Amino acid sequence: MNAVLLIVIPLLVAFLSILSKKYAPYLLLVVSLFNILSIYFLKEGIISIGGFTAPYGINLIVNSYSIAGLFIVNTLFFIVVALTISQYRKMSSILLVALAGLNGLLLTGDLFNLFVFIEIVGISAYLLTTTNHKPLSTFNYLVAGTVGSVLYLLGLIILYSMFGTLNMADMHAKIIASGASATAVSLPFLLMFIGLSVEAKLLPFNAWVKGILGNANKLSGPMLASVFAAAIALTVGRLLNGVFVFSDTLGLIVLVVVLFSILAGEAMAYASTKAREILLFSSIAQAGIAIAVFFMGLPGLGLLIVGANAITKLVLFMVITHITEQVGSDEVNDLQGIFSENKVIGVGFTVASLSVLGLPLFVGFVVKLNVLVALFAKDEMLLPIVILISSVIEGVYFVKLLIKLWYKDGDVKQVSFDITMKYVVVVIAIVLVFFGVVSGDLLDLATEIGGIY
Amino acid sequence: MANVEMIMLMLIGFGILAYLLGKFNPKAGSIVTIVASFLSFVFLAYYGYGTETLDATANVLTFTTYNVTQLGLFFAVIVTFVFSMVSFFNPFYIEKIQYNAAYSMLYLFALAGTIGVFFTNNMLYLFFFFEFVVWTSLFLIPMGQSKKAPVWYFGFSAFGSFSLLLAVLLVQNVTGTFNIESIATMSSGYNITVLLLLSIAALSKLGAFPFHIWLPKVLKNSPDPISAVFSGGLEKLGAFVAVLGLVKLGSSSAMFSINGYINMPYANYFIAILGSMTIVFGTLMAIRQDDAKKLLAYSSMSNGGYILVAFAMMNSMSITGGLYHVVAHAVASTAAFLAIGAVHRVTGTTKMSELGGMIHKMPISYLVYLIAIISMAGIPPMGGFISKWMIFQSVIDNGLIFVGIATFFGSIGSFLYVFRPLAALFLGQELPEHRDHTKEAPIVMLVPMLILSGLSVYIGVHVKVIMGMISKVVEELGYIAVPYSDFIIEGINGKLNAGLIALMFGIGVGIAFIIFILLKKSKKVGLMDTYTAGNFIYTESLLHYSLDFYAPLERLYEKESKIMKKFYVTVANKVREFGAFVKYFFFANKPELTVFFIMLVIIALLWGEIL
Repeated sequence: MNAVLLIVIPLLVAFLSILSKKYAPYLLLVVSLFNILSIYFLKEGIISIGGFTAPYGINLIVNSYSIAGLFIVNTLFFIVVALTISQYRKMSSILLVALAGLNGLLLTGDLFNLFVFIEIVGISAYLLTTTNHKPLSTFNYLVAGTVGSVLYLLGLIILYSMFGTLNMADMHAKIIASGASATAVSLPFLLMFIGLSVEAKLLPFNAWVKGILGNANKLSGPMLASVFAAAIALTVGRLLNGVFVFSDTLGLIVLVVVLFSILAGEAMAYASTKAREILLFSSIAQAGIAIAVFFMGLPGLGLLIVGANAITKLVLFMVITHITEQVGSDEVNDLQGIFSENKVIGVGFTVASLSVLGLPLFVGFVVKLNVLVALFAKDEMLLPIVILISSVIEGVYFVKLLIKLWYKDGDVKQVSFDITMKYVVVVIAIVLVFFGVVSGDLLDLATEIGGIY
Repeated sequence: MANVEMIMLMLIGFGILAYLLGKFNPKAGSIVTIVASFLSFVFLAYYGYGTETLDATANVLTFTTYNVTQLGLFFAVIVTFVFSMVSFFNPFYIEKIQYNAAYSMLYLFALAGTIGVFFTNNMLYLFFFFEFVVWTSLFLIPMGQSKKAPVWYFGFSAFGSFSLLLAVLLVQNVTGTFNIESIATMSSGYNITVLLLLSIAALSKLGAFPFHIWLPKVLKNSPDPISAVFSGGLEKLGAFVAVLGLVKLGSSSAMFSINGYINMPYANYFIAILGSMTIVFGTLMAIRQDDAKKLLAYSSMSNGGYILVAFAMMNSMSITGGLYHVVAHAVASTAAFLAIGAVHRVTGTTKMSELGGMIHKMPISYLVYLIAIISMAGIPPMGGFISKWMIFQSVIDNGLIFVGIATFFGSIGSFLYVFRPLAALFLGQELPEHRDHTKEAPIVMLVPMLILSGLSVYIGVHVKVIMGMISKVVEELGYIAVPYSDFIIEGINGKLNAGLIALMFGIGVGIAFIIFILLKKSKKVGLMDTYTAGNFIYTESLLHYSLDFYAPLERLYEKESKIMKKFYVTVANKVREFGAFVKYFFFANKPELTVFFIMLVIIALLWGEIL
């Protein structure tokens, strides 16, 4: 089983699907299901495309990090698509392209190739957000995303002119071998980091998020907040651990940006009264935490954070966008008591929120606790304290939200959920509890990944 | 032989069973809570203190380990006892509760988590169980009246448990192990930090000053059984952490002593002062309340202060007193909350100005409440007297003047407030709106109330049993146990003969009763049979003599009564403002701003690196 197929087949089918609008959604479902299944047959190793060996050709890196990433992204992609495609049939071809791009992001071992995939993913994301029917927000997203990828490209060009290679591993080796000072490479790295931060939702480069996720629908909400966010965060994590070399000042800038993202994200969520805004600002803070952990050199735990966050945000956004669509508002006060009529969904939503808060029995607890322990072992005190302070704020607004949604105060708006959605939410809740109790395998994976980078 | 882990798993299992049964019949689910919590108490008490042993090996969930310490056992027995007594109330409340199946389940889950806190010897899992208790109890609170109370609770609890986690990580960083015993041997520059962090955890769990805001809100608004469980049981988690931080942790800072008195490390003295402030603040606030549950909540807070003061003093007398106070307060406050709960159930209100004369219909609840408050005020022959006697003695003996003033103030102040519900709610005239449909609580509710009352008296007279449990704990903590016999505790300044005091008290009560029988009976008049300054008063509640009872006293500190709450509200507002500011500044829907920030960050780098 060749990993290239994960990229090529969706891309090929995307072109085919244009021919038949009628069958496109089915093709999408089949392809994304096929992708999930084929991940089981992937073998670890480096795949050179076209027979050109690295560092001359483009190669794909298949290791436990990218396999875990592929598994998370493809599974969640399939779930979102399966639940919503009937309403957004027109998006099928775009989603196929997006799938190719996402898998490419996770697999590629080439920095320029990565740029191409960032563009593919970006363009498909812009197109997906047109379903929000907020053209101005989409336009802002387009501008911000383009600026971001241009900066990435600019940084990459500088690096290429300095070291003459585009391959990630080769680049890393050459930087170290050349003895170039960390200062000399800090500008290109900063440009690339900013470029990626736009998509990774780090403050202050993420102005687009509010317009996009604040108006998200059933498809674009879970897709961008969970699936796309996971792929981008994992890509950043890979670059931070496998390519970048940090100078002190660059490290400081990254740390300040990230810490600011975490605290400001939680404060903004606390200041919001709309359910989707609360979730989107909370995911800004979570993205900050994930990037911070990658930055501290803990790729395995970073992956766990991203994974746990993607799964929980999927449920949260899915439920909230579904409710918003039927109620016509996402003001928390308009949504009170909704779970008293929809207990199954309510329990799933609650489990996901408690996992985000890092409360015991849920997977978020395992992840958060191990991150803090690992950071302390590195004698890092500032970040754990910031994470804990942000958790207090996070707890307060999430508990407020949960209590509002569970307990009615006056009329309850009628919302109905279809059976497949209930089923999916329950299964995800069980997964969250299962890995919250039996966490050995997750931690083994984190250690294994820690060994690669 | 019983196994700690099996007891916890049993509770979890029963919790799930309670949920499933509760789905079909809420009452059946709540009866499961009685069976399960009672079983857990019996197992712990019988195997813990009996001839057989309590096994601590983890067989199923092997990620953590347990250890049966006398300290953990002591607390676990008290808390399971409180849970099992309160559980008898559940069937009578369950039908009013919105998510009744979940209620029964979470009730047992919270108990399981509490047992975990007391027995685990891995500090990380101490945090695990701590947080577990937080979220399981969190959802029990809004099943009562308020949706804001749980938010306050979670905020403070999260702050407390994260302090605990930071302390745990610091200890691990220094000693290299998560074993709980490493706290005792730890000595480094971090000791003070760890002590303060553990104290924050303890203060926020106990609801002590300055982290007390959640306590009255939660205790007032939770369903009545949950209020009782919080006051008698879950608050004691804070006392447990206080023991870890104040007593177990090795010397934390330089000793503070004046002419051979005080003799406490500075950090401990600081906590003792906070404890004193808790006592004073709780007392003053309790005096202000019109709501009986809120009044008891503030009284709980001030009792938490006594426990803190006692542990902060770090000598065998004070620790013994503190632990005795844990028992006495758990028993008394649970009983008091249950008695008020019983009244609440039939009248639908806990406001004293809306109640009166309940003694005519609910004499047993009255008796239970009377005994409970006598104990809480520290009057013999109840348990509260014994514990306060020991705490006072050690405060005086160590020459802690300010702490002494606070503790005596609290004790005298409690006379002012605990008798108010008694007079306003139980005694006095029966109000017309409650006259016809009120009746005494059913026998199943009376049994636990009477057991608790009996126990309050028993531990105030026959001190041997509790002292036996406590001296094992004290010895385990490395102190010499206070000598005691059946009825006598030997203090530093003299002996306390609880039996003799009880006898004298009994004779006094007997004489008073004889006088009561012999004297002329009082004449009964209607409530409206009153004229003020020659005018007939139409608004009945204005006539109620408990209304604004202490108004002149309250006026003295009216303005200061909300300072801490204002502080937290201000902090919350600042966070919100910061969020709104960032939102306004960075999310203006203008892409050019993003570009501007990108430029700023690049300039920052160029400035730092190249220029």
